[in-house]
Amino acid sequence: MVCVGRGQFSGEDHPFLGYAPYVIELSYDSGTLLAKVPHGSPPPPEPFVWDARTAQWRAPAGAYRDVILGLKASEIPYTDRAASFEKLRLESRVAMEPRPYQREALGAWRRGTPELRGVVVLPTGAGKTAVAVSAMEKLGRSTLVVVPTLALLKQWYSILQDSFGHAVSVGLLGGGYHEVTPLTVTTYDSAYIHAERYGDRFGLVVYDEVHHLPAEKYAVVPKMLLAPYALGLTATPERPDGGHGLLPELVGPVVYRLSPEDLAGTYLAPFETVRIPIQLTAQERVDYSVADAVYKDFLQKHRISVRSPEDWQRFIMVASTSHSGGREALLAARRRQELRANAERKGATLERLLKEHWSDRTIVFTKSVEEVYALSERFLIPGITYETPARERKEILDRFRIGRYRAIVASDVLNEGVDVPEANVAVILAGSASRREYVQRLGRVLRPREGKKATLYELVTEDTGEEAVSRRRTEPYAANNVGSAT
Amino acid sequence: MLRGEHVMARLQRGRLVPHKLQPGDRHVREASERLIGLYAEHASARGTRARLEEEANLLEEELGPRLDVRRGFKIVRALAKLLEERARWAPPTEVDPYTMRTRVFELAAALPELPAEGSLLEGNTREDVLLQVGRETGVEDPSSLMYADRQGAQVLSEFEVPTPEELVGRYNVAQVQGVLYGARGLTVDLGPGSDARLVFHYVKLLGLIYAVEPTRKGHRLRLDGPLSLFGGTRKYGLRLAKLIPGLLLTEPWELHADVQWKGREASLELSSETPGLRSHYSGPAGPSPEGEGDVRGAFEKAWARAKDTGGWELGEGPGILALPPLKTALVPDFTLREAGTGREAHLEILGFWSEKHLIERVALVREAAKRGHKVLVAVPESLGSSPEALRDATEGEVVPFKSRLDVKSVLAALET
Repeated sequence: MVCVGRGQFSGEDHPFLGYAPYVIELSYDSGTLLAKVPHGSPPPPEPFVWDARTAQWRAPAGAYRDVILGLKASEIPYTDRAASFEKLRLESRVAMEPRPYQREALGAWRRGTPELRGVVVLPTGAGKTAVAVSAMEKLGRSTLVVVPTLALLKQWYSILQDSFGHAVSVGLLGGGYHEVTPLTVTTYDSAYIHAERYGDRFGLVVYDEVHHLPAEKYAVVPKMLLAPYALGLTATPERPDGGHGLLPELVGPVVYRLSPEDLAGTYLAPFETVRIPIQLTAQERVDYSVADAVYKDFLQKHRISVRSPEDWQRFIMVASTSHSGGREALLAARRRQELRANAERKGATLERLLKEHWSDRTIVFTKSVEEVYALSERFLIPGITYETPARERKEILDRFRIGRYRAIVASDVLNEGVDVPEANVAVILAGSASRREYVQRLGRVLRPREGKKATLYELVTEDTGEEAVSRRRTEPYAANNVGSAT
Repeated sequence: MLRGEHVMARLQRGRLVPHKLQPGDRHVREASERLIGLYAEHASARGTRARLEEEANLLEEELGPRLDVRRGFKIVRALAKLLEERARWAPPTEVDPYTMRTRVFELAAALPELPAEGSLLEGNTREDVLLQVGRETGVEDPSSLMYADRQGAQVLSEFEVPTPEELVGRYNVAQVQGVLYGARGLTVDLGPGSDARLVFHYVKLLGLIYAVEPTRKGHRLRLDGPLSLFGGTRKYGLRLAKLIPGLLLTEPWELHADVQWKGREASLELSSETPGLRSHYSGPAGPSPEGEGDVRGAFEKAWARAKDTGGWELGEGPGILALPPLKTALVPDFTLREAGTGREAHLEILGFWSEKHLIERVALVREAAKRGHKVLVAVPESLGSSPEALRDATEGEVVPFKSRLDVKSVLAALET
């Protein structure tokens, strides 16, 4: 077993007990590590290089772990003025009995090569966050959590506040927040900008959705952080650009991996999918076919087929610069979308579902932020979007969990691993065709809970593109026996 | 500053030419006037952000194609982004929308049924909830203000109105800055008479690292950041871009940058002669450089008239004394040379100081001393904090003066 918490990397001095020819002094400077050696001494070991610009020996801050281990191994005495992370007494007040695979994952990370560095791959809904919380608890060091979205920023804030908020104040960096504490949550974008200012303050860094890290821009983040310990979390480490090859260097190798199939049945609650076709009203249908005809004519005339967001951009460009019919086509395209999204019957159907499930815990998902606020005002249920402040978001979800709120409506913010354990009904109003998104949304309602059967409603407008979108979303999943589509 | 998607440039044999608007062009003038007008009207009517964005979109569709068939909409958006920087937004209501909506949700969730628009049988439960909250808060229509703290609901409370020329000038500089977002480093050649002190002020402010070497006409600065040592990174591009308005406050200079542009390597060349670029900065806070110039000129005259200068001669400043670990440099005004011994000292005259400023300055002087340069700093007593603070901060490295710096006190300091 690895000894954690013994101050292996703790910012202490390590004077050489015997004859010390010279002492290396380490310090942190804007994302880099500086080594000062007395005049006339041999240069510090690799990876330090001479920086002629400032006349200093410099290495990337990320080399800190190897530098310390190297100095120790070759018994070179050093003074560490670089690391300013603290030992924290982190004891989660949320009683959590880890599931066996979560314990295995944590063990694999702690015993990995190198120790306490690596990526844990668990399917959405399997409780990746719990693994990270245990890791923080066991390690007891200042920790930086890096996440891809503002929604996750707020979600992690909420989890860390629940777990450790009694002992440590939780900081936020990004999305309008700039409060750095020994337990801070930030986004990849903010870390890219600010890591060099705070990179000496954290012993552990947790990368949530770590498949984002190998992007050219973000890969510089670990270079700026001293953190000797790193934990990456994801359901899908693979990147189409092959960037996952960089993960061992950036965080460490994959130390534990479980697929959704490994967990199906045992840990994921059974669920049922109900697809409700929505027909347009007679007037809507007429309006729709008019708008549709104008739009499609224009596409045909300009030989455009819209299959991807890029195609759509191209359509906008062609239409906004075309002298004949461009403006009309744009308006028709907009009208078409509005009709599809706001079909009157959709609203009425949602009302029926909310009534029917008023004693359940229901989450309504919609794609448009404006629709969230419109539905929130219409049904007087709390809305959550990326705009919702962190504290209010936590309050809403907390109240939803304990049943004080019966239903909430959310935009895409609840994607990517945001967890709402007590929801047993989900309604998708309009979604995009990405399979990943669909799976992750399903994950939300699939939290295991005693005797719970989740229901997922999908409201799809008939005779419109939305039907195709819905099919695309379900098809790759058909072969999988996790759910039973009706 | 612009967002990446607003940045436009032409690639010409590997050289980047940032997009530029001609302030004299009829359509450019029309577009900037209309946009400025839109913001100004909104500010006086305290219009909401959502409304402003809607109208800006309409303007984009109307004005864009006239400016440029393909990219007109981008230009209009970029101009609007620059106006946005001059706008201040405020909440539209005194009642706290968060408290109000939370009350609404709590009341609604406590109902045995979904609060619906109602039918004859059920009664209008939604209306009941809203009426109750309305009574409690004194708001007529709570549902309309439930989310009044959203960005879109904010009202434009202040707008600093630019002239169309100012806006277009800002646009042209912002496009240059945008191209630099992808820069790995910047080389600046400072020519004779350029204000190196000003340039280092911004270099230090932005946390850039520099290397300096003398050139035939002045100095060459290579600028990047700490991590650039381990292979070029574009991480400092934004900061390098932020240097441009500061650089534009002085002349002459030439600039070269290697930039990654749409996945290709390209370069940007620029100089203080490049037409149409004007800074929107007013320079570092403090007194006008003319004030300092007066003190310098007066000191030169006083020196020329002085009967006895103790064998010291006054000459032009040494240029840049590099102090790389402090990420800045000293740029003294004069060099004093003792004819007999060849001893040398530099003199820097400050026009204005604060205690913090002075402590920093003295740290520079001490760092310079380590490198074998004796530097004296002369500061006006009247333009800073108390004389005690001055003494505490400096321990004799500083020559205080009242309105004029006199020769005797400088000579006295030379002998310490």
